[in-house]
Amino acid sequence: MHTDKGRFIALVALTAALLVPGALAAQGTLDADTIVEKANLAAYYAGADGRSEARMRIIDGQGREQRRQFTVLRRNVEEAGDQQFLVVFSQPSDVRGTTFLVHKHTAGDDDRWLYLPGLDLVKRIAAGDKRTSFVGSHYYYEDVSGRRPDEDTHELVGSEDGMFELVHRPRDPSSVEFAEYTTWIDQETFLPMKIEYRNSTGKPIRRVEVKNVETIQGNPTVTASRISDLESGGYTDMQFRYIAYDLGMPEDLFGERSLRSPASEWLQRPEGR
Amino acid sequence: MKEFLLRLSIGRPRLVYLLTFLLVLVTGALMPRIHIDTDPENMLPVDQADRVFHNQVEEWFGLHDAIVVGVVNDGPDGVYTAETLAALHRVSRAILELDGVIRPDLMSLAEADNITQEGPGVLRFEWMMRDAPGTTAQAERIRDAVARLPLVEDTLVSGDGKAAAVYVPIERKDLSYAISREIEALVAEESAAGDWHITGLPVAEDTFGKEMFVQMGISAPLAGLMIFLLMWVFFRNLRLIISPMIVAMGTVIATMGLLIGMGFTVHIMSSMIPIFLMPIAVVDSIHILSEFADHYRQGDDPGKVMKKVVGHLFKPMLFTSLTSAAGFASLLLTPIPPVKVFGAFVAFGILLAFLLTIVFIPAWVVRSSPKSLASLDRLREGADADSALARMLRGVGRFAFSRSGLITTATIIIVAISVAGVLRIQINDNPVRWFKDSHRIRVADAVLNEHFAGTYDAFFVLTHEDPQAWGDFRRAADEALGGAVPPAIAGLLADAPATGELDARLGAIIAMADDLSFDTDDPLLAERLEALMRVAETAQVDARYFQRPEALARIEALQQALADTGLVGKTNALPDVVKVVNRELRSGDDGDYRIPATVPAVAQTLLQYQSSHRPQDLWHMVTPDFTRTAVWLQLTSGDNQDMTRVIEAVDEWLAANPLPENVQGRWAGKTYINVVWQGEMVAGMLDSLMGAFVVVFIMMVLLFRSIPWGIVAMMPLTFTIIGVYGFIGWIGKYYDMPIAVLSSLTLGLSVDFAIHFIQRSRELYRERGSFEAMATAMFEEPARAITRNAIVIALGFTPLFLAPLMPYVTVGGFMASIMVLSGAATLLLLPAVIALGRRVLFRNIKTQGVESHAH
Repeated sequence: MHTDKGRFIALVALTAALLVPGALAAQGTLDADTIVEKANLAAYYAGADGRSEARMRIIDGQGREQRRQFTVLRRNVEEAGDQQFLVVFSQPSDVRGTTFLVHKHTAGDDDRWLYLPGLDLVKRIAAGDKRTSFVGSHYYYEDVSGRRPDEDTHELVGSEDGMFELVHRPRDPSSVEFAEYTTWIDQETFLPMKIEYRNSTGKPIRRVEVKNVETIQGNPTVTASRISDLESGGYTDMQFRYIAYDLGMPEDLFGERSLRSPASEWLQRPEGR
Repeated sequence: MKEFLLRLSIGRPRLVYLLTFLLVLVTGALMPRIHIDTDPENMLPVDQADRVFHNQVEEWFGLHDAIVVGVVNDGPDGVYTAETLAALHRVSRAILELDGVIRPDLMSLAEADNITQEGPGVLRFEWMMRDAPGTTAQAERIRDAVARLPLVEDTLVSGDGKAAAVYVPIERKDLSYAISREIEALVAEESAAGDWHITGLPVAEDTFGKEMFVQMGISAPLAGLMIFLLMWVFFRNLRLIISPMIVAMGTVIATMGLLIGMGFTVHIMSSMIPIFLMPIAVVDSIHILSEFADHYRQGDDPGKVMKKVVGHLFKPMLFTSLTSAAGFASLLLTPIPPVKVFGAFVAFGILLAFLLTIVFIPAWVVRSSPKSLASLDRLREGADADSALARMLRGVGRFAFSRSGLITTATIIIVAISVAGVLRIQINDNPVRWFKDSHRIRVADAVLNEHFAGTYDAFFVLTHEDPQAWGDFRRAADEALGGAVPPAIAGLLADAPATGELDARLGAIIAMADDLSFDTDDPLLAERLEALMRVAETAQVDARYFQRPEALARIEALQQALADTGLVGKTNALPDVVKVVNRELRSGDDGDYRIPATVPAVAQTLLQYQSSHRPQDLWHMVTPDFTRTAVWLQLTSGDNQDMTRVIEAVDEWLAANPLPENVQGRWAGKTYINVVWQGEMVAGMLDSLMGAFVVVFIMMVLLFRSIPWGIVAMMPLTFTIIGVYGFIGWIGKYYDMPIAVLSSLTLGLSVDFAIHFIQRSRELYRERGSFEAMATAMFEEPARAITRNAIVIALGFTPLFLAPLMPYVTVGGFMASIMVLSGAATLLLLPAVIALGRRVLFRNIKTQGVESHAH
């Protein structure tokens, strides 16, 4: 049932992607909220589901390196709506099998679980602050699953060099560490190509940059990005590989029981890509 | 040389003025380039091993100097009231906005992360105090949370809950004074919430630097003014006594200008150069003026009298200057750079002062009008020769020459008591103690260390380095690959990685093997690459030594041993993090506050810790490759003695529990560095003092061309040094850096009086032809000059007692004691010894009986 719906959405999304040049013609009439909505879709909702293998190099202010490697499985419960994520670690070997499960809700708090094989332990993580580090990297949990567009107000401040430039301000400033941020959104793909967070004095403190975009199964997809902590000088390079969309992931893959032993077929790399 | 200098000074006084003026002008122009340095680290040479290691540790673990801000609320709820926590929150947030603060590393309740249980099986990560609590209930929740976090309790909030602290890491030490001032302004608005205190070594150092600068501008001139007033009392001739002041100021300006101009920083030691040079520069002038006043009659040609006086004094003055300079130059034997600079420039200043005295004072006197010199005549005929001082000194002279047995016995007793005192000397230092007890920094230090586990830091750093690791891996890798190394991976396997880069190299090999194994169509190669990944993973896990439970257990045992000594306020280390996260992951029960049993369990626990708001905090305790870890000790005292006890306790523990193979432990941290330089200083000062003693003795033998006279000349300074340090031992004052350095001043100044006394007594013996005549004459003008000098210098430095910095107060006290002791030793002990040894001492001195009729 869900799978059918997913396929239908995928079809719609694919059609929308093909119609992008047409959408461009109408860009003058796009308001900020619409652009953000489209960017949210482009960045987080490609396909009905998707897999990718992420490799992170976390570099601290002194140039010291840590690596992480994990597979991300994602399934859209509904277009632009709830989503499910399963993140399974493979490197370094001492954290292999560590798994995160997220049920993202557009209304209400997300559900989050954690499995630690070394401690043989499944834990629920209480809804709370999502702006904590993702496994020691410069990414926040919120960067991985997406920030809800309605948490900020959006203002379109420019439209140059094929980019929309928007400034976003948090509705609840006390919940975040930044005062505002600017995104530069590609007018063709609607992928946010650069995000800059500033503190209350207007000083940039954090930057996200997309380093590479590939079109995979018709979906413009970020395959390399960097997030920099401008205060410490550290940064994290993230590389996404072995990406595939619309694999028809079943709902029970994202169930609590899947944490301890996710079906291995979904973790294997797709052949020929 | 003497003749040339005298011709110049008496014959060309205007030229002398011009040259002096030019010297002061040129060197004075260099002074604005001054650069103050108050970092105690600089007590060690830049390449000193402990200092190099300390700096490496700061880099490895991202440690910065921190200002400590504390708030104390003595109410029943302590700081856990909505009001105090809200104030702490506001202050903490406002500090984050200050320039020069390293924001991510600021530690306070408002920036602390918390991990808690939210119902069974549910974990909650959140800020401890994201928003200021509005109610008592919220404040109490924070209290309960703090009690569960050993890294927070007693560090961010005191164990008794009465005080909370904000640790403010700063980019550069020289910003700390400015930042602490800004923080003072912030907390001034929050005084309703409790008493605020600001301390921390960087603040102490920087504040010290600022006040030191002020003291150079206040204490030294004040001492100069005092000396001036005393000279007025003795000479009653304004014009005449201005000249020693010019000599002193000229010497100070030229020496400091040269020091600054040559690019040396002004350290706590060199800031005291003016204060040391002032008395020394004045001493020679007083000798000249004193004798000139005695010989000058109205109508005499001042040039002729001056020639005679200087001719007379040249040799003893040259030798006193040389010996004093040697005393200070001996500081070059210490291994402490600021002390070396201090010694070298004081030695230079002393010789410059001698030169200036010899040329400038006569020039000045020659240029004086006969009218202004006339008052000297009255002085000599009236007050001086018949003053209370003069009468008293005659009495002293009669006593000293006649009761030599009594005096030597008394001296032996005093020396014996002093030696006992010297043996009781407590070697100890703590830069915070350089402030007086009442100084706000001392007060803050006392209050915060009373409440908290301690604001003084030391680090015991453990390093694991297995020299076999790479070789073992390479053999396993060759075996895995079956001899067929794919070109893409060959480079990564070629050479051994540098220290600290093994983990990253293995990570790169794993990633590369992973990519290659997926891309290849050859199943055998894919299999071999898989095998390579496995051996690289094993090597990587093995290399991450401080992730092993047994390694953590050993650190835990060390922490326990340190806690058991009672010498340490608290230790913070990696096991604490692992245990807290393990407890909260499993159940939240105290029974789970322990180190998990396997490496993956530890690694996954730490991965959770890194999923916090402050993942970087982990790297303050361990390096990302887990080959180095630091145990952070919080000490309530920065005293070297206390740190030394901690070091000894750890040494003892290590002797009973040796570290495993390939693991080494080493100390770092400011409190430890202070111990290192003090150790070097004590040993160095002893070398330097012995060196100077020998040099001065040789010079005395050469000057008097007699070994017995040389021995006699050493007596007053020996007596003074033993006496002064014996006194320090008995009153229990710590032997610290200023005290150590003052030994060379003692040596230099007390030998002065002895030289003058012996030189003049030998001359007078020759002139007057008998021991008795000499004894009487010695306690006229020569004794008066020595006494005047002693009084001028002793009293001249009383303004230093008002300084807010202890080293200045110490110098003031020392000057007075040195003058009293060496003056007494010269006027009592020397005559007594000379009387006792007259047969030997005067055996080779022929009386002339010619010149004696001149008067």
